[in-house]
Amino acid sequence: MSTQEKRTIVMMITGALVLAAYCIYAFGQVNAGAVMPGDLKFWARTMLIFIGIGVAATIVIQIVYAILLSVGIAVSKKIQDQNFKDEEIEKSIKAEMVEDEMDKLIELKANRVGVTLGGFGFVAALILVLLGYSTAVMLNVIFISFSVGSIIEGFVQLYYYRKGIRHA
Amino acid sequence: MPKKIEITNNIRRLRFFANEMTQQELAEKAGVSRQTIIAVEAGKYSPSLELAFRIADAFGVAIGEVFDYTVVGETKK
Repeated sequence: MSTQEKRTIVMMITGALVLAAYCIYAFGQVNAGAVMPGDLKFWARTMLIFIGIGVAATIVIQIVYAILLSVGIAVSKKIQDQNFKDEEIEKSIKAEMVEDEMDKLIELKANRVGVTLGGFGFVAALILVLLGYSTAVMLNVIFISFSVGSIIEGFVQLYYYRKGIRHA
Repeated sequence: MPKKIEITNNIRRLRFFANEMTQQELAEKAGVSRQTIIAVEAGKYSPSLELAFRIADAFGVAIGEVFDYTVVGETKK
């Protein structure tokens, strides 16, 4: 499995964990009766906090992943050959982390799927409001559909890494 | 409607004649990841013209020696 695939899986797991944490916290509060009906401030605050957690977690995990990968490569090279030069190790690390045109194309195509799913969620949320559901339901449907969209985006990336990708 | 073409490549053969150059070495010379070279070699990814030139340059040959095409449903003369 390539570095890019591993990174995608790590990001998908992070996204899923943040979404699960949001659902447990937010709906837990609702079930406990701590949220008044129509309290949009609660939902806005909760969503903003979890968006922040998601962004922070993504950055931290990317950094930790890069460090672990670098250490892993350095250790394996040193085990192979004690006299392996540091410059060579650095070169191997850079080669592993390189993001090229194929990665960008895959990211672009996967991103399109993710955004489309988010768009469907937005339309579904509007329809739910028309059917008489509350604004809180609308906000949750939008938030969850974009979150699920980003996880699906990861699956699409993995699919393209395995199957290959065409420009057209 | 334009005919569908399939891009083929001789990267495996060229690597063999370049002292069995590894995919990693080729990736480093072309400035892409090994994953991308694997995909190009297996015909799973058609590279941009720029990358195609860089791959050809890595072998020191013309681009036509690395990449070729066949029109789907036809055999080339």
